[in-house]
Amino acid sequence: MKYDIIIIGGGLSGLTAGITLAQAGRRVCIVSAGQSSLHFHSGSFDLLGYDVEGKPVTRPLEAIGQLGAEHPYAKIGFERIARLADEAETLLNEAGVKVKGDSKKNHYRFSPLGRRIPAWLTTEGYAVCEEADTLSWKRVEILNVQGFLDFPTEFISAGLKKQGVVCQVKSFTTDELRHARKSPTEMRATNIAKVLADRENLRKVADCINAVSGEADVLLLPAVLGFSDEKSLDELKTMVEKPIAYLPTLPPSVSGVRTAILLKRLFARLGGTLLVGDKANGGVFKDGRLVSVTTDHLPDESLYADQFILASGSFMSHGLESNYQRVFEPVFDLDVDTAGKRAEWTKEDAFDAQPYMEYGVRTDRDFHAIKDGQTVGNLFAVGSVLSGHNPVRLLDGTGVSLLTALQVARTITERR
Amino acid sequence: MPEGIQLKNISGNNLEQCLKCSICTAYCPVSAVEPAYPGPKHSGPDLERYRLKDNRFFDEALKMCLNCKRCEVACPSGVRIADIIQASRIKYSTHGPILRDRMLANTDFVGTMANRVAPIVNTTLGLKPVKAVLHGVMGIDKHRSFPAYSSQKFETWFKRNAAPKQDGYRKHVSYFHGCYVNYNFPQLGKDLVKIMNAAGYGVHLLEKEKCCGVALIANGLSKQARRQGEVNINSIRKSAEKGRVVLTTSSTCTFTMRDEYAHLLGIKTDDIRESLTLATRFLYRLIERGEIKLAFRKDFRMRAAYHSACHMEKMGWVVYSTELLKMIPGLELVMLDSQCCGIAGTYGFKKENYERSQQIGSGLFTQIKEVNPDCVTTDCETCKWQIEMSTGYEVKNPVSILAEALDVEETIRLNGV
Repeated sequence: MKYDIIIIGGGLSGLTAGITLAQAGRRVCIVSAGQSSLHFHSGSFDLLGYDVEGKPVTRPLEAIGQLGAEHPYAKIGFERIARLADEAETLLNEAGVKVKGDSKKNHYRFSPLGRRIPAWLTTEGYAVCEEADTLSWKRVEILNVQGFLDFPTEFISAGLKKQGVVCQVKSFTTDELRHARKSPTEMRATNIAKVLADRENLRKVADCINAVSGEADVLLLPAVLGFSDEKSLDELKTMVEKPIAYLPTLPPSVSGVRTAILLKRLFARLGGTLLVGDKANGGVFKDGRLVSVTTDHLPDESLYADQFILASGSFMSHGLESNYQRVFEPVFDLDVDTAGKRAEWTKEDAFDAQPYMEYGVRTDRDFHAIKDGQTVGNLFAVGSVLSGHNPVRLLDGTGVSLLTALQVARTITERR
Repeated sequence: MPEGIQLKNISGNNLEQCLKCSICTAYCPVSAVEPAYPGPKHSGPDLERYRLKDNRFFDEALKMCLNCKRCEVACPSGVRIADIIQASRIKYSTHGPILRDRMLANTDFVGTMANRVAPIVNTTLGLKPVKAVLHGVMGIDKHRSFPAYSSQKFETWFKRNAAPKQDGYRKHVSYFHGCYVNYNFPQLGKDLVKIMNAAGYGVHLLEKEKCCGVALIANGLSKQARRQGEVNINSIRKSAEKGRVVLTTSSTCTFTMRDEYAHLLGIKTDDIRESLTLATRFLYRLIERGEIKLAFRKDFRMRAAYHSACHMEKMGWVVYSTELLKMIPGLELVMLDSQCCGIAGTYGFKKENYERSQQIGSGLFTQIKEVNPDCVTTDCETCKWQIEMSTGYEVKNPVSILAEALDVEETIRLNGV
């Protein structure tokens, strides 16, 4: 099979690159081994949340200039970041992922435990505040679905109380939600979202909320709405009398599933081919170029393309793997930036910056992958498989995924 | 640390690879509508640890699993979640199949009987009182219509009308037609013969063909499934020895024989796995290698919506059928969101599952109505029944669309037949 571009990995960066290239009229095939880490998504996207010293960043475009030369943003070129950030926002909105924010100035989102965390773009309707310690609410109610355990209301409420907010925790249920609790282990955000996709069921929830809620500036609800589109998020707002805002839950994340579905739909509409549940397992290299790749399900098929993009993710997605001897990239065995000795991979204190977080595929300034010390002219790496950044410490994970994908897509379209 | 110990740590169906990320639970079509089902993660890798200790941890609720494999397709870590569930059903379940399950599962036997008196059976099965008895006594849901039985089996048609010519071709394939083509819809088999003959291939039946056994496995009749599986694999092996690849037109039969035989029934298949393939995959690959050419009618126009059947998705072969269809100039192909239609073979025929089955498929039915295509196309026959019954849109196998669009004379000429 022959395509213009083959992308390995169907997560945020793979789909972003795929959509951009398909929009440019290219024939694109994405090979995707299982679902992506988008399923742990907070509902927000970050460019840069913390600086290298761990301090919250207010103006990400300015703070990016302090990052080291090996950071993917430095490879893109700091002057291009603002424009790519705008393009990323446009792409998300085009797919139906409605987000708000400004790359010039971070706002703050909530973690599922109620901490305030800097963010670039946040899903519309989710709770945000302009500064970490200034809340516009004096009185809030946290309303949870009875029996939903992935929304630790006591933590959230304790955090709000510390800042002088009067906070009450209440819960509600309906017949349908009670029914959904039959297997307690399955009372998950995504399963609740499927129950509440039905407008009648949602109406009953709104009635319950209207009946139980008291005096409050805002009602905070777990983000358990909108499995495959954002309709029910808006609908509930119109049904409930008081203002409401959503807080992210523990995984699986409804906003993440929705983002994945919406991006895939756009990619399919643009004529892209998506091989799901299939794993790229090797490639044929010739004269410094990648000629073709093979996959588990198409064992005697070679997938040919002019250009290839590796967007296979980090350790969780198996874009990077390790054994007792080494950290490696399993598809092509590309050169990886890593420490030699296993003892150096981790720091004993879990809260220290963990060295392995920065490990990843080594690339040149244009994100060409390197194999056995040689640059591969038509193989790029994008997203969290890249070395040189720590998404936990810097909060730059989704930004790196989106922006490196857009940058590489641009390089490829300009090449012809 | 002893060298290579990680490589030795390989668990059954990749059980140990489960990170507990819970992504699979978001894609289980049963969990979405039936909270009494404990979901793929819990039913599969979580409870398996307990079952390995004590079989009393086996839960009969596992029979609600459709075996659609969408959990496996979603898993980022390659855990064979549905295999874990099905294997534990085979190993631990103490509930035997009831008469209804045996009847639904024995598609071969029931089909043979029904073909003999097809018009009577078709009319009778459609009568309200009969449906009421089936529903009340047998537990077959009254909303369901049985697929009509053909009065002539595919095999009979083939032997009378096609078989004598087949040796005259230079190249040869075998055809595993499956129960559906044989008893209910011989036209699909005729369509395949038409395409293969035009491309220069003679088509032959297998020495012996039994039902693939997918319904037997699902209904707890794994021993019978194994016996039938051995017969099929032997026939396929004989065909492969003659250099004849065995083609199929059903994604589920293919998946069952290629993967489930080995994973669930312990039948050795590795030597013949590549000799058994879906016709669309075989054709696509011949065309890509330049070995055959298909010519299509200039006046052919169709707007079709492709539905990714669960087992097609699991095999990773959707791309073959869709790329092949995209070669037809007059065809506009719309990709539907990949989701389960809810029928899962005999599952949706049982009255205790009917409502669940329809709820599972509701998203797909709505999307089909929104797209409003000329027809829906899919590689699975049970998806066809479900979608036709639930939406009113006609559903065609990609092979039938190819046959309809094919310019036979031009194709014969191009291939020098």
